[in-house]
Amino acid sequence: MNVKYLALEIKRVVRNPRFLIFTVGLPVVFYFLFSSINAQGNDADRVRVVVMVGMAAFGGLTAAVSSGTRIAVERGAGWQRQLRLTPMSGGAYLVTKALVGMIVGLGPLLLVCLIGGLTGVHLTAAEWLQVTAGTWIGLLPLAILGVLVGQLATPDSVQAIGSGVFLLLSMFGGLWFPPAAMPSWLANIAHVVPSFWYGGIGRGVVFHDLNVGTTVLVLGAWTVGLAALAARRFRADTARV
Amino acid sequence: MTDTTSRQAVRNGAAVSIAGLRKHYGEVRAVDGVNLVIAPGEVVALLGPNGAGKSTTVDMLLGLSKPDAGDITVFGQTPRQAVSAGSIGAMLQTGALLEDATVAETVGLFAALHHRPLPLAEALERAGIADLADRRSTKLSGGQKQRVRFALALVSDPDLMVLDEPTVAMDVETRRQFWRSMRHFTDSGRTVLFATHYLEEAQEFADRVVLMRSGRIVADGSVAEVRAMVSGRTLRAIVSGATEGTLANLAGVRAVELRGEQAVLTCDDSDLAVRALLHTFPQARDIEINAVGLEDAFLALTSEGAQS
Repeated sequence: MNVKYLALEIKRVVRNPRFLIFTVGLPVVFYFLFSSINAQGNDADRVRVVVMVGMAAFGGLTAAVSSGTRIAVERGAGWQRQLRLTPMSGGAYLVTKALVGMIVGLGPLLLVCLIGGLTGVHLTAAEWLQVTAGTWIGLLPLAILGVLVGQLATPDSVQAIGSGVFLLLSMFGGLWFPPAAMPSWLANIAHVVPSFWYGGIGRGVVFHDLNVGTTVLVLGAWTVGLAALAARRFRADTARV
Repeated sequence: MTDTTSRQAVRNGAAVSIAGLRKHYGEVRAVDGVNLVIAPGEVVALLGPNGAGKSTTVDMLLGLSKPDAGDITVFGQTPRQAVSAGSIGAMLQTGALLEDATVAETVGLFAALHHRPLPLAEALERAGIADLADRRSTKLSGGQKQRVRFALALVSDPDLMVLDEPTVAMDVETRRQFWRSMRHFTDSGRTVLFATHYLEEAQEFADRVVLMRSGRIVADGSVAEVRAMVSGRTLRAIVSGATEGTLANLAGVRAVELRGEQAVLTCDDSDLAVRALLHTFPQARDIEINAVGLEDAFLALTSEGAQS
């Protein structure tokens, strides 16, 4: 793991105006939009928290996945080959990429929480920690999923595939509307999707239904499975050229 | 037997030792039994038409792809070990640059990834891009991008430099500058292997020329030696009233090309040919006899019908 490489990668992601608009701007706008539409009457405070944790998770997810998908462009252009002429191992490359996703995902996650805190969301310190740090740790398998998509897609298809992935994950994860509002077929599928458990970490502060053991188990299994797939795909891809 | 050759080469401290190298893509034998030993300090040009197997050989030498058979060592190590040690610097034909990073960031990254890099400023200086340090790579011309790639190859301070078509996007002046900085590099006794289409670059810059065709090496030696492999000379003359048939029948002539009165005779024995020509066509004039150039040798040795 090379710190300078990590730093440059983060810089490159953050430099991209499209990245800032869609992954930082959009969740904030959605937070204001959904909370002003839905947070009314007696339940307003609760709804505002649900919207905030959902949009914080949505922002983190979008940032992490789309940063990983950038790999497809680097692969297509031959930059990955160029990097293979340095001492950096393939493993270090993939770990760095996943870590970049984690770190850039932290930005929108914290920003939405900050804005939530400033616009009337009141949580205890432990609850804030659960929403921020807890959600962030749960982001790991999704950052790895971004890397896997980047390793599978072509530069032409990656934009569409990447967007599809984080839109579906957000919907199945209950980030836009809580699982209680899902039709039953959707709720059934949602339980196997990693983002459902990822979103559940933040929702736990409202619904008090967080099962830590199951969440760790499911997200851990996804992490191991997706990491194995990404590593395998990387090996196959580099053996081919 | 190839095993002993390569072991011998390593003992003798070869920079590159390739033995029995093969790589197939389906039915295509991209590299079909290549043996090559390069001594430290040699500057070797790898020539051949498209599809001769140059890039495939270079890829395997750099550890970017695995041979189906055969051995490669670079300073006695596997290609990957040599890359990790920073002993190989390479300029790839398809090596892209990061679009959203500056020149200094890109080269600085490579410096940070290597264990004993050159100082960044020195690498930029040597590649002639010190003035472009803060430029994003999207704002570079083709030749400037090539020089950035050269800086990426240079920054690990390698002992072996591998260049795949290095000057392809450069104008004449940039190309000259590029080879100047390469000379600076080889003056310190380092080894260079470069693939090129420009024969004059090989002629001017290489100590040794390796010609590939259909995945095999068909000629290997100094420029003079390779030229000599294609025996004979070319005789040019203005001959009126001649036909290709009569010219081809002259003693010492192997092949004839006749355009109007302008005859080009490829001769096995040009002394015999010129006597025969003047005997049959006493009015022949403007006679010129030349040794075969590297380009003629290249064409003769790499064309499809050529014997290996």
